[in-house]
Amino acid sequence: MTRREFSVADAYVYDHRSSLRWLQSHIQRYPLLLTTFLLTTLGMASSQSLSAVAVGNAFDTVLGGGDAAALTIAALYVVAAYLGYGLFDIVNSFAIRVLAQRVERNTRDELYLSLLSKSQTFHGRQRVGDLMARATNDVQQLGLFISPALGMTIESILTLIIPLVTIATLDVKLLVVPLLFLLGVTLALRQFNNNLRPIADQLRATFGQMNAGLAETISGIEVVKGFAQEPAEEDQFSHNARAYRNAFVREGEVTAKYLPLLLYGLAIGLAFGHALFLFQRGEISVGQVITYMALLGTLRTPLRFLLRTSSVIQQSMASAHRILEMILTETELDENSEGVAQPMVGDIVFERVHFGYGEEKDDAMALNNISFHARPGQTVAIVGQTGAGKSTLTKLLNRTFDTSSGRVLIDGVDVRDWSLDSLRAQIGTIEQDIFLFSRSIAENIAFGARTAVSQAQIEAAAQEAQAHDFIMGFPNGYETVIGERGVMLSGGQRQRLAIARAFLSDPRILVLDDSTSAIDSNTEDQIQRAMRRILQGRTTLLITHRLSQIRSADLILLMKNGRLLTHGTHDELMTHSLVYRQIFIPEERRLEIGD
Amino acid sequence: MHLTGGLNPEEYDRSYSDRELVRRIAAYFRPHWSKVLLVAFMVTLISLTATITPVIISRGIDLLSGNPQLQLLLALAAVVTVLGALGWLFNFVHLWFAAQAVGDVVLALREDAFRAVMRRDLSFFDQFASGRIVSRVTSDTQDFATVVTLTVDLLSQLVLVVVIAGVMLTQNVRLALITFTVGPIVVVIALVFRRLARDAMQQAQRAQATVNATIQETISGIAVAKNFRQEGAIYTDFQATNELAYRVQLRRVVVFGSIFPLLNTVSGMAVAAIIYAGGLMAINQAVSVGDWYLFVQGLSIFFYPITSIASFWSQFQQGLAASERVFALIDDEPVVVQTAQEPVGRLRGEIAFERVTFNYSTGRNAVLQDFSLMIPAGETLAIVGHTGAGKSSLVKLLMRFYEFQAGDVGVDGRSIRTLDLSQYRRQLGLVPQVPFLFSGTVADNIRYGRPGADETAVLTAARQLGDGSWLDDLPEGIHTDVGERGARLSLGQRQLVALARVLLQDPAILLLDEATASIDPLTEAQVQIALATVLRGRTSIVIAHRLSTVQAADRIIVLRDGQIIEEGDHEGLLTAGGHYAELYTTYFRHQSLDYRPWEN
Ligand SMILES: Nc1ncnc2c1ncn2[C@@H]1O[C@H](COP(=O)(O)OP(=O)(O)OP(=O)(O)O)[C@@H](O)[C@H]1O
Ligand SMILES: Nc1ncnc2c1ncn2[C@@H]1O[C@H](COP(=O)(O)OP(=O)(O)OP(=O)(O)O)[C@@H](O)[C@H]1O
Ligand SMILES: [Mg+2]
Ligand SMILES: [Mg+2]
Repeated sequence: MTRREFSVADAYVYDHRSSLRWLQSHIQRYPLLLTTFLLTTLGMASSQSLSAVAVGNAFDTVLGGGDAAALTIAALYVVAAYLGYGLFDIVNSFAIRVLAQRVERNTRDELYLSLLSKSQTFHGRQRVGDLMARATNDVQQLGLFISPALGMTIESILTLIIPLVTIATLDVKLLVVPLLFLLGVTLALRQFNNNLRPIADQLRATFGQMNAGLAETISGIEVVKGFAQEPAEEDQFSHNARAYRNAFVREGEVTAKYLPLLLYGLAIGLAFGHALFLFQRGEISVGQVITYMALLGTLRTPLRFLLRTSSVIQQSMASAHRILEMILTETELDENSEGVAQPMVGDIVFERVHFGYGEEKDDAMALNNISFHARPGQTVAIVGQTGAGKSTLTKLLNRTFDTSSGRVLIDGVDVRDWSLDSLRAQIGTIEQDIFLFSRSIAENIAFGARTAVSQAQIEAAAQEAQAHDFIMGFPNGYETVIGERGVMLSGGQRQRLAIARAFLSDPRILVLDDSTSAIDSNTEDQIQRAMRRILQGRTTLLITHRLSQIRSADLILLMKNGRLLTHGTHDELMTHSLVYRQIFIPEERRLEIGD
Repeated sequence: MHLTGGLNPEEYDRSYSDRELVRRIAAYFRPHWSKVLLVAFMVTLISLTATITPVIISRGIDLLSGNPQLQLLLALAAVVTVLGALGWLFNFVHLWFAAQAVGDVVLALREDAFRAVMRRDLSFFDQFASGRIVSRVTSDTQDFATVVTLTVDLLSQLVLVVVIAGVMLTQNVRLALITFTVGPIVVVIALVFRRLARDAMQQAQRAQATVNATIQETISGIAVAKNFRQEGAIYTDFQATNELAYRVQLRRVVVFGSIFPLLNTVSGMAVAAIIYAGGLMAINQAVSVGDWYLFVQGLSIFFYPITSIASFWSQFQQGLAASERVFALIDDEPVVVQTAQEPVGRLRGEIAFERVTFNYSTGRNAVLQDFSLMIPAGETLAIVGHTGAGKSSLVKLLMRFYEFQAGDVGVDGRSIRTLDLSQYRRQLGLVPQVPFLFSGTVADNIRYGRPGADETAVLTAARQLGDGSWLDDLPEGIHTDVGERGARLSLGQRQLVALARVLLQDPAILLLDEATASIDPLTEAQVQIALATVLRGRTSIVIAHRLSTVQAADRIIVLRDGQIIEEGDHEGLLTAGGHYAELYTTYFRHQSLDYRPWEN
């Protein structure tokens, strides 16, 4: 059982042992559609052969001196064969297409669910562009894999084989050319696939690169323009686009060299010669020659199909592999739904906590041997230089990340023993690097609430965060859509929305990571007052550079290079920590730093 | 390959007449005319071989009624074989050269689209989702390629139809006419289908785009969802859109799933009709068995192109619509337009806002109204004020990211509208409020404004900030990978990188928008020392909420709702006892040791 941060109760379970089995289990989820498809394909191939036979019979009838009545019957056979074919065809095509849509829907669902269930460590490592490519292109590719590719391939194989059986009933000798041809096609197809595979990979890789590069240029457009680096970006893009173009042309070349079609051209001539030869020897009739040629004629379409489906199937297998790879990536956190779920009091203990983002050696860890104890209702201020590990420390609390060693306890219970649901619901965070959704302001604020909230509640939260006035200043008020990541707001406006969002989530423990850095002092004062009221009795972790807030904290953690240098109250630190004094008292800064 | 296929029309979309569209597409092919001509020639040859083969076979079958010589029969078979090989060869040349031409054309189109995007000002990027812009440049151009390939295919099919029809008519007029009656039936079916298909296709693509957009946004904001433990809610949202997309797709299944079986059945009926009619004629000796055979075979050759034209029509139209979208992107004019391209040397740095009025979009309140401000060369100007007052906007205007509606902005006595934009911007060094880093190393990012800079220069710029000790916190120093958007650095580190980037650029005018807001006071103090040297002799605009940052400025202005409500130097403003003084006292109460805001 893989670990997950999030799961739903009734999710269907698929086979994850290999990408082939995984696809298979997705398809086999709908046995009825699958059987219908297979049976009708068989029906199609058979009625197609029957129609060729019926055509040949018609010729034999006429050449054998048959009359109009006999001809009518022969023609009616043709009608019947084609009607039968049409009927099978329509059922067949519905079955496979519906199956394709379901598999597409289900794989997307499965992948999405698994992405939600992955830890932040995982997401921090992934490029959003890459995840997107998997969740969109690759999933769509699986739909294409089933219909048309898989459908066509099965159909093609049957329509390559059943005519042969029919030919055998005409005269076994006639099989010589088709069998040789089939052998040739098999070998040529294998060769073709081998040639195509690396190019298909290249095609995808270069397209992905072009896409991701462009997406990044556009996200950083302000910087691009600010430094007038458009020409450099243009070169970069051209380079990527050209790489894709080269792969595209190479694919065209390989496809153009598709040998089975050449074999087919040759086979038709040879088969014709062979049939004529047998006719000359009196072994077959004209009608049989015609049936034979008509049957050979039906071989052309499957060959064209196989040309198109080969590359689709290859790309799809690669896509399936990539999706499954995502799904199977181990995540270190588990939602632990059986875990402790109880109202939080807010007692926080860090016990010899170490944490590293990567596989660094101990001395390069982001956090080293951190221990402290915050009592319920206390305000803990974390101070330290840029990059000291302040934000990182707070991220261990709600298990955004898990410690590498040591423990984090809330109310005496290891956070890993808490139900993730209960844990995160009761810890509110205002991140330093705010993310807002390109939805309306109201939706962004409401995002913090666990249950449906009324407009009045949203407005109340906005009031507390000093956001209501500027929101009402917009022509559309709370319905204003704020652009990607909130680009249409000023820095301070974004922060206030994030504050309102956190207020509405009504947490037991609140983490404020430099959450007023873009807000002027007067406004901040007002927000502070609201916070004080709202957070009465709740434990607060506070990262800030404002001395007044730090000084009034019950506990101050002083960090440097991932270590907890010292902790205590303001007065204690003022008396015994030089580093602490240096941060706040400019006059002390000239002294050598050391503690 | 739609990432977030933007199908709902954007504001800048327009429709082109068919002639215009064809003209535009043709223009892209002009440089490759020889290849196009070759491809067309091959297409004709392919059609010819495809027609001749059944004719020869039918002649062979005719011979069978007499008592033919084996040599003759074998010779016929040999001709068929050679034709088969030739057909393949022609097809090879066709596909290969077509791929080259299409590859080059799409490349050219992509480059044009990219250049067009780069020409746009920031209002464009505010307004249109980045995913949609990306998909125009990469996916829509791809669909354009499909159009081209399909056109070539359709043309070759048409040639084939004409050739076959000709051959049929020369062989037997009556049977030919029977065959041709199928044409109108197919055309009617195709026309009905075309409308259904287009609707179903469009709906399906829109649904798809919505699903993709939902995924895109929730994945980008996954950290927020996790913090608030909202996975359940966004999963429910997702499921609803996913299910809706599935239902819409089912509609497409019904349309596309029935069209081919229908057309096949029609063609089957036609075969039966030809067999019957041809058989009757053959009985009456009105037609040879070979001809009869030819028509039965010819029918499917005749049919194939018609059905494929019918079935690919919607894809064709979709491709046309895609090229329309790409051309709309290319043709749309940026709002920021330079009236001249005057060269810009090293600027002295005198800046003048003259009665400037600016809003981000019509209908929104003006951010700046009749705003005037003079900044003499070499001055360090600080801007403080309430959030949302328009401080960042002011700087963005000066960067010429947005167009202003009235008044003028001048630098060294010249309107910034008349300057060469690239040269002008290189003279300005901006540290934006939200630092953006590109994925790559710290060094790559510092070097961004001066790609040629060597490692020593990069290190010097980085060490200028503080004592450079911030580099020691990074696992691999300046070679640390910063991750997407710089996410692997702390926010303060990102700001330091953004500052170092500007220092290396060595601009004439510095614009620091809350450049040290996320940096701790100690490091900031060190950074200030470095900045003091850099700012000396250059014009600079410094925006900060931390008033300690702005005290040393030559002049301070207080902005409120886009108006300057106070200005002067620190001492002067304090004595004046106005807004600045109030801000300042609040700020320093915050920094003082015994202040508790909730107790007043
Ligand atoms: N996602 C990440 N992957 C790898 N390293 C990281 C990641 N996030 C932070 N780091 C590194 O960990 C260290 C601590 O970062 P953290 O964000 O905790 O600093 P901070 O104290 O919050 O600094 P600031 O005051 O600038 O916000 C830094 O050296 C940073 O480069
Ligand atoms: N890209 C944009 N599109 C539309 N409106 C915008 C955009 N950027 C800013 N605004 C609006 O313009 C006004 C001024 O914003 P600006 O960013 O200049 O404020 P600011 O003074 O820099 O504030 P802060 O101190 O919070 O950064 C705000 O009301 C904001 O909502
Ligand atoms: Mg931080
Ligand atoms: Mg701003």
